[in-house]
Amino acid sequence: QRFRFCGDLDCPDWVLAEISTLAKISSVKLKLICAQVLRDLLGEGIEYEKILKLTSDAKLESGDVKATIAVLGFILSSAAKHNVDSESLSSELQQLGLPKEHASGLCRSYEEKQSSLQDSLRACSLRLSRLGSVCWRVDYTLSSSELREVNEPLVHLMFNLWDGERSGTAAIPVALSADKFRVLLAGEAWGGAQLRPLS
Amino acid sequence: MRLVLSEEQKAHLGCLPRAGGAAVSELGRLAVDLLRRGAAPRACEAAARQLSISTDTVQRGVEGLTYLLTESSKLMISEIDFQDSINVLGFSEELNKLLLQLYLDNRKEIRSVLGELAPKLPSYHSLEWRLDVQLASRSLRQQIKPAVTIKLHLNRNEDQTAQVLQTDPSTLLHLIQELDQALGEMKTNHCRRIVRNMK
Repeated sequence: QRFRFCGDLDCPDWVLAEISTLAKISSVKLKLICAQVLRDLLGEGIEYEKILKLTSDAKLESGDVKATIAVLGFILSSAAKHNVDSESLSSELQQLGLPKEHASGLCRSYEEKQSSLQDSLRACSLRLSRLGSVCWRVDYTLSSSELREVNEPLVHLMFNLWDGERSGTAAIPVALSADKFRVLLAGEAWGGAQLRPLS
Repeated sequence: MRLVLSEEQKAHLGCLPRAGGAAVSELGRLAVDLLRRGAAPRACEAAARQLSISTDTVQRGVEGLTYLLTESSKLMISEIDFQDSINVLGFSEELNKLLLQLYLDNRKEIRSVLGELAPKLPSYHSLEWRLDVQLASRSLRQQIKPAVTIKLHLNRNEDQTAQVLQTDPSTLLHLIQELDQALGEMKTNHCRRIVRNMK
């Protein structure tokens, strides 16, 4: 059977197996555990002791606690990845055997954080390199060993890149004559004009 | 299958009967530590002082024992073969029993250490992908050119490397087809026969 939150594929066996573990926890505590898992997915850090306290009533073993965190993480991030709305998620989870109150609690937490989760996933998508900043300086060359009176402006640009391939920063210096710089600017302006109808 | 010890190794191990039972256990422990963690010259010196024998003797005894243990574990020789191999050295019955016990106790661990020493190719760790569409470039406006960018994370003996690849969707589909065919090979009669025999 196909599930939208699994990307229109079958639900993985391990997720199916852990649904029964989720049902052991009370729906109120499950909503709080969801909030913690969402914090972890958003990069705010997870408070494992709080989760241990919340699961202590259900008398889960440590392996079960970790499985709970893993399955909630999968459900929430996969639903955000495939842009599933919270009602569809709730009905699909109930089809998998999660009780109604648990599913609605989970989906309410999901709905609150759905757009921040999608923003965070967008930010960590594959990027090879990223432009950090551009610094510039204009010099005026008076004379050189080749010609006594040069009198020409020279533009220095420094592109600070974040290199995704090698995970480090790189600084690329470029020096251009005034004419070349004007050509570059014209290209930029044209490129910018192409992007305007898209955004 | 018996071990054949060279004259030099017999000389190394020849110091053991003079050292006595307790010393041999200590040297055995040092030999196993050497295999686990690598050379520890200070431990050898400490043992030499404690057992009142020269550091050289300790060093050579440990080396001899290390060779004996690794070769026996590598070939997984039986108890009888091990006893035959060390009988050649003409040790006392008690010493022979000690060495046999040392071999049997540490055999499994030594084999796992030796297993790690085989050369390894980089293995798959994870994969990040991205689907882009090129709309325009400096040379050609109004295009639609899809491209899939893949960052393959590889692991090789705790070294992480990443390889960036880019392809168009039709090549990617062809790649998937080829990999499916490779997996399909496992289901042919030829492969099935070999797998059955290996079990």
